[in-house]
Amino acid sequence: MAVAVQRDRHPGVEADAPLAIAGLRKSFGERTVLDGIDLTVRRGELVAILGANGSGKSTALRCVVGLATPDAGSIRIEGREVVGAHGDSLVAARRQAAMIFQQIHLVRRRNAIDNVCSGALGRLPLSRSLTPVLFPRELRQEAMACLHRVGLADRAGERVSRLSGGQQQRVAIARALCQRASILLADEPVSALDPAAAEQVFAVLADLARNEHLAVAAVLHQPDLARRHADRLVGLLHGRIAFDAPPSEVSDPQCDALYAPERGAA
Amino acid sequence: MAATTVAETVPPPPRTALRSRRALVIGLVVAAIVALHAVAWSKTEFSPHALIHGWHGMVDFVSQAWPPDFSWDDVLHPGLNAALVTLCIGLLGTTFSIPFAGALAVMGARTTAPNIVVYQASRSTMSALRAVPDVVFALIFVTAVGLGPFPGVLALMVHNTGVMGKLWSEAIEETDLGPVEALRTNGARGAQVVSHAVLPAVVPQLVGLLLYRFDVNVRASLVLGLVGAGGIGFLINQSIQLFRFDQMLTYILIVLVLIIAVDQLSAFVRRRLA
Repeated sequence: MAVAVQRDRHPGVEADAPLAIAGLRKSFGERTVLDGIDLTVRRGELVAILGANGSGKSTALRCVVGLATPDAGSIRIEGREVVGAHGDSLVAARRQAAMIFQQIHLVRRRNAIDNVCSGALGRLPLSRSLTPVLFPRELRQEAMACLHRVGLADRAGERVSRLSGGQQQRVAIARALCQRASILLADEPVSALDPAAAEQVFAVLADLARNEHLAVAAVLHQPDLARRHADRLVGLLHGRIAFDAPPSEVSDPQCDALYAPERGAA
Repeated sequence: MAATTVAETVPPPPRTALRSRRALVIGLVVAAIVALHAVAWSKTEFSPHALIHGWHGMVDFVSQAWPPDFSWDDVLHPGLNAALVTLCIGLLGTTFSIPFAGALAVMGARTTAPNIVVYQASRSTMSALRAVPDVVFALIFVTAVGLGPFPGVLALMVHNTGVMGKLWSEAIEETDLGPVEALRTNGARGAQVVSHAVLPAVVPQLVGLLLYRFDVNVRASLVLGLVGAGGIGFLINQSIQLFRFDQMLTYILIVLVLIIAVDQLSAFVRRRLA
């Protein structure tokens, strides 16, 4: 079996982890963005992915949720292969992974709770989801619990556009929770936020990993923030993994090398 | 002293002179546009000379129209009634086109179309509806349902479906795709994405365009009156044929008030929405 062979070639990848990526490759035209990435995210851990712009961090996450199609490799979500999969099983597997974006991507004219409820759209029939008025009562309660989890239950009725950037990002996290995903992927979730809000967002992500046993992978540009909150640091350089270790085992020069000017050779 | 330091260390700004090839292209485009206008000038028999020589014709015409005939029973009362009909034709023609324009807009916007076939079919339908002038639609519907305001409503409804559908689909295409992407990744299906990500973002623009079309359609329904679709346009046409230019002027003043009122109303609502 092709998948079994691939797993053998990537001994470090744990196939039973919520998210197991092996040998992932992706090129845009001539430019190779991902050159064989192996990455495992286990239940209950927060993995911080570091790397310079263009090192392929975001592309890797986008491949997992289906916003980009990998050229080769394997992505297993809760044990199910999604590369090359089709139909309902693909949709079901993808729903296990929720994405949080740098640009937040909430509907700004709607209130927080309606945005959180929209995380559940994938499992609702059209008759209960065509407008927010039709959302089931249980869903609204679940959404309130999700907002409470990120500390924003008191702002549930407020328009998203009136919330601060950090609050909006936490509403986006609540939306991901309402999706009932077991994997949380965050693509530069704090790049547009001030340090205090960034700290708060990462505290929420770490808390969700540890106490809700979610598998959390976050791309970010702040090594110190990553060191404070992450269980594991993964460095990406030229589309390859440069290091993958607990923060205590990664030295500052190793981190700095990711952003060194000579990397521009690629 | 500071100035000399700057001059020594800072490279000179890039030259802004047009590169020769770009200048050539711009020159050709300008020449083509001028040539096109020259052709248009002769094709339309544009002649300021004729206008200056014939000015007394206009004076005669206007002097016959002045003073306007404000008699209540014969002119003003029927005029106001007909203006109300004109307004109603524009209103219903606009309102009844909403569901059709909405469906075509969603299917004809690149960002929300389910597939390329539906997208192209929807675009072509909207183009066809726009290509046929509302007056022609009115004539077609008059043959079916007879003279009166009803064929006017049908004509505006059909034509406006094409125009508003296109305007709406463009508004939809311009919206931020982020929330759409976010909902797609969590498993939402097409209709859910439209109702939870696209529509909430574009509704203010859509309402603004709807009001603009209402404004245009009220004016269009005037012209429809000229071909027998009722309303004040019909009275204007009648008064011209009877050489009652004083009555015609009264009707035009009524139209002026109506147009200003509709324009003010839609501008007010659009300001509130912005």
